[in-house]
Amino acid sequence: MSPEGKHGQDKPGAEGRDDEWSECLVAIANSGDRAAFTRLFRHFAPLIRGFALAGSRLSANLADELVQEVMIKVWQKSAAYDPARAAASTWIYTIARNSRTDLFRRLQKFDTPLAAEDVAPDSGSEEPFEQVQQRRNGQRVRELLATLPVDQAQILAKVYMEGKSHAEAAAELDLPLGTVKSRVRLALQKLQLQMAS
Amino acid sequence: MAKHHPNLDFLTAHAAGSLPLAQAACVAAHLNYCRDCQRLVDGLQEVGAALFEQGVAEPVNERLLDTVLARLDEEPPLHFENVRPAPKAPPPILQRLMRGDFADLVWKKVTRTLSISYLRTGDPSHEFALYHIRAGGRIPLHAHRGDEITLVLQGGFSDADGDYHAGDFLFRQAGEESHAPTALQSEDCICLGVLDAPLRFTSWAHRWMNPFLHLRPG
Ligand SMILES: [Zn+2]
Ligand SMILES: [Zn+2]
Repeated sequence: MSPEGKHGQDKPGAEGRDDEWSECLVAIANSGDRAAFTRLFRHFAPLIRGFALAGSRLSANLADELVQEVMIKVWQKSAAYDPARAAASTWIYTIARNSRTDLFRRLQKFDTPLAAEDVAPDSGSEEPFEQVQQRRNGQRVRELLATLPVDQAQILAKVYMEGKSHAEAAAELDLPLGTVKSRVRLALQKLQLQMAS
Repeated sequence: MAKHHPNLDFLTAHAAGSLPLAQAACVAAHLNYCRDCQRLVDGLQEVGAALFEQGVAEPVNERLLDTVLARLDEEPPLHFENVRPAPKAPPPILQRLMRGDFADLVWKKVTRTLSISYLRTGDPSHEFALYHIRAGGRIPLHAHRGDEITLVLQGGFSDADGDYHAGDFLFRQAGEESHAPTALQSEDCICLGVLDAPLRFTSWAHRWMNPFLHLRPG
């Protein structure tokens, strides 16, 4: 199941692994490399399926449908991926998040001219300095996430992995809305994500 | 540079993809004016990415890979590229919804100085409308039956709490006190309003209109 690892060998750790996935994306964009796509699929498809099934709002069939849709978009949009702007996993996450939002809206029979991607495009700065900053933020968030108290981590999982609104999270956890909001804020503060004053 | 921003709750929900469509479109439009919020949203997105990476990996049937491999040569769907707008142009998300410029829209006259144009987002529970207030004109004094987001797009307005200019994002919750936004004297003001319940006019001159104020979601 594990990728050959020939790209990431001299760069151990999470960063090295992510470099391998960005190399796969670049290879897909440059030469339609199906072997690279297969490696990417074996790693990310189970994560996308886990994301789809979190909060059990989707059936197993719909989760598989989402996996297909996301992985095909990864293939089709690979030329738009810029390794300087985002980690491969971040880029794939935004596609999965947007596809899931669109799927929820389709299931609720929304008739809309907008796709989630129009509303939340994958962003990232063109400026090298900001790009370095952004990569550092990503790294820091990943490190600090492990240090969060359980109740805060649990709420973040509801908000992000299950895509629940603060009000829905409050109802499910049987907590006052104010408590949910302040736990999310505290967690984000620990991850050093705050409004510029 | 915008001075009034969506709060952290809005930005987090936006980054997590759980904000109702009309509100998300409004936050997206604010991001076009505001590097600070865009940067923060990028950071908030990293939280989602990190949780995604570390999430439970649910086994995927090998046949699914075959299905996907067989579909790779399908023609990708047409995609509208969001081009960087001219400095004074409305944010791309609004251009998509307006299919043109402010002048091309159908404007419905509400008072001598106020016209409204409803845009279709498909959000079944939120109204998404543009307000055109003539220079010096005002939106009648109103109370809030639901949540109201206002984003200034052109010109500016003031109410009892302050002055607002292009890019400013204001949020008033259900039950917050009445206000009567008044366009600055220097130029016409265009702003975007997202509502989940109709306004209630509170001045004697406009109260008669209340029974006619229906929310127009969708
Ligand atoms: Zn802002
Ligand atoms: Zn108001």
